[in-house]
Amino acid sequence: MLPRSETGLATAQPLTLDGITHSYGGGLAVDNVTLEVKGGEFVALLGPSGCGKTTLLRIVAGFIEQGNGKIIIGDRPIDTLPPSKREIGIVFQNYALFPHMTVTQNIAYGLAARGESRKLQEERVAEMLAIVQLETLADRKPRQLSGGQQQRVALARALAIRPRILLLDEPFAALDKNLRLDMQIEIKRLQRQFALTAIMVTHDQDEAMAIADRIAVMSQGRIEQLGTPVQIYDEPASLFVNGFIGSSNLLAGTVEAATAEGYRVALSTSTSWTVPSRQNFAPGAPVLVSVRPEQMTLADEAGEGRFPVSLKLSLPIGGELIHDVTAPDGTSLKVAVPRRPGVASSRAETAFCALADHARPSLFAKP
Amino acid sequence: MQRSTLSDVTYNWIVGLLAGLGILILVAPVIIVIATSFTTSQTLRFPPPDLSLRWYRELFDPVRSAPIHTAAWNSVWVAFVATVVGAVLSVLAALAITRVSRPSARLLEASFLSPLILPSLSYGLAALMFFSVLGIRPSLNLLIAGHLVVIAPFVFRTTLASLTQLDPALLEASANLGASRFYGFRRITLPLIAPGIAAGCFLAFISSMDNVPVSLFLSNARTGMLPIRMWGMMESTLDVRIAAIAGVLILATLLLMIVMDRLTGLTKRMSA
Repeated sequence: MLPRSETGLATAQPLTLDGITHSYGGGLAVDNVTLEVKGGEFVALLGPSGCGKTTLLRIVAGFIEQGNGKIIIGDRPIDTLPPSKREIGIVFQNYALFPHMTVTQNIAYGLAARGESRKLQEERVAEMLAIVQLETLADRKPRQLSGGQQQRVALARALAIRPRILLLDEPFAALDKNLRLDMQIEIKRLQRQFALTAIMVTHDQDEAMAIADRIAVMSQGRIEQLGTPVQIYDEPASLFVNGFIGSSNLLAGTVEAATAEGYRVALSTSTSWTVPSRQNFAPGAPVLVSVRPEQMTLADEAGEGRFPVSLKLSLPIGGELIHDVTAPDGTSLKVAVPRRPGVASSRAETAFCALADHARPSLFAKP
Repeated sequence: MQRSTLSDVTYNWIVGLLAGLGILILVAPVIIVIATSFTTSQTLRFPPPDLSLRWYRELFDPVRSAPIHTAAWNSVWVAFVATVVGAVLSVLAALAITRVSRPSARLLEASFLSPLILPSLSYGLAALMFFSVLGIRPSLNLLIAGHLVVIAPFVFRTTLASLTQLDPALLEASANLGASRFYGFRRITLPLIAPGIAAGCFLAFISSMDNVPVSLFLSNARTGMLPIRMWGMMESTLDVRIAAIAGVLILATLLLMIVMDRLTGLTKRMSA
């Protein structure tokens, strides 16, 4: 018997992936992934297509049997259990609603399959319909629903069996952009309400940033970095993570010396910056300095740490003005500055590019 | 609206003409045979001199048309049993074949479909020789077995098509929600492929009803089948009841088709 909280729901169970490895044919799809998801935590597996995130999700669900490694929910390994016994709720990419059944029948399916009484089925369906606010659409078929409504049904169906873990496979890919935020909030709310440990697979960094407590950035079957959205954004652990999350400017340079504040790097733009880093670099090592566009500014005059750039283009994007500038050595950079109302472009043809206050550039060995 | 050029007009005329010709060729014989079935005359002549239900009365006379009735019931019974048995076997085969991706499955698929292209006459002869080597005498059951081979592929094909259109994520969802394989089959797979099975059964039934080549080899005087009987009447007496039988068959098929279309969208499936 699972421990129950006062709400009558099971308390959130941690999920542990221990050394999961899986290969298709010749190639490794998942390469020794170890991940501990705390009870009630929301983790996003983020990565480009083919990085192994979907395979990992399907292994957890039991649709694929991993070549190696263990999956543990709470303190119980579930590797030998078939998908039907794992008590994991899934929201499928295209929802996979049963097209010939009504909303009610879809939600009741898991309960009916377990042979629950008709009375319990009715009660649970009514409860779930109320939770996802679909009471009025109970007798509709899935094709008569909008994308957002279908997703609510998929959620209700997954949660009706009171799962211990919730898996979401690209849950927002099929939704209109302005509906996504609503559904992200909705899913986050339900995840909290049901005290669920959740894993979401996505290739969309904004989704991952918005909804996840922690993000595991994956590439080529491995977890490149695991951390909070802020950590991932501010302190990318590798060039891949740096490039995949947000946009950034890469400046080539050479390490001159290690100082108390960080490494002094001579940039190819004929200036030098001091960049802190946790990694070790020897003097003379070729490096790349990565700076987010919003951590750079443009100044009118030359000064220390500034280099001249010529302005190519300015794009007013909402509250920001994005300048496309080119340094003398040909490096192309994007600089994002807050836009003052009424201003649509920059004033000068040439300017001086500098790090903004509190900028936190990252240093990577040049590949 | 764009003005149509001369070549557009010519094109439309030619296509329209061809379509009209096609419909004429398809429909005209049906109209002629139905009109002839209402004739008052003693012969199969078109146009009929006058209209009456004379030959239908003759056809439904239990005494004078007893051999025709026997043959008709034989045909219906053989078609019915062959379709039911064929449907069960075909659905099982299609389920297995869609689940396996090995090349051997493709080979099996091709061989299960092969009766559709194999000349039925060759098969009829082969079946006759095969069964006589085994020492099995012609009977209705033998006819059922013979028809089964020729008509089961219809159900197999439509079922296979339905199964390949079935989203595999639905069965994953079913399993994930705690359903056993059999429960998922009963509540997800079967309801979703049922229209495909029904459409295949309809085609199989009709195909068995007017199968001549296999019946020709496997039936004898006691196990007369309707198409063979009709051909016999045609050769010997030019009996106008043949036209009446044709009329009844056309009407029955039409009704069955309307019912099927209502139930399963058959026409959509046949064109797919």
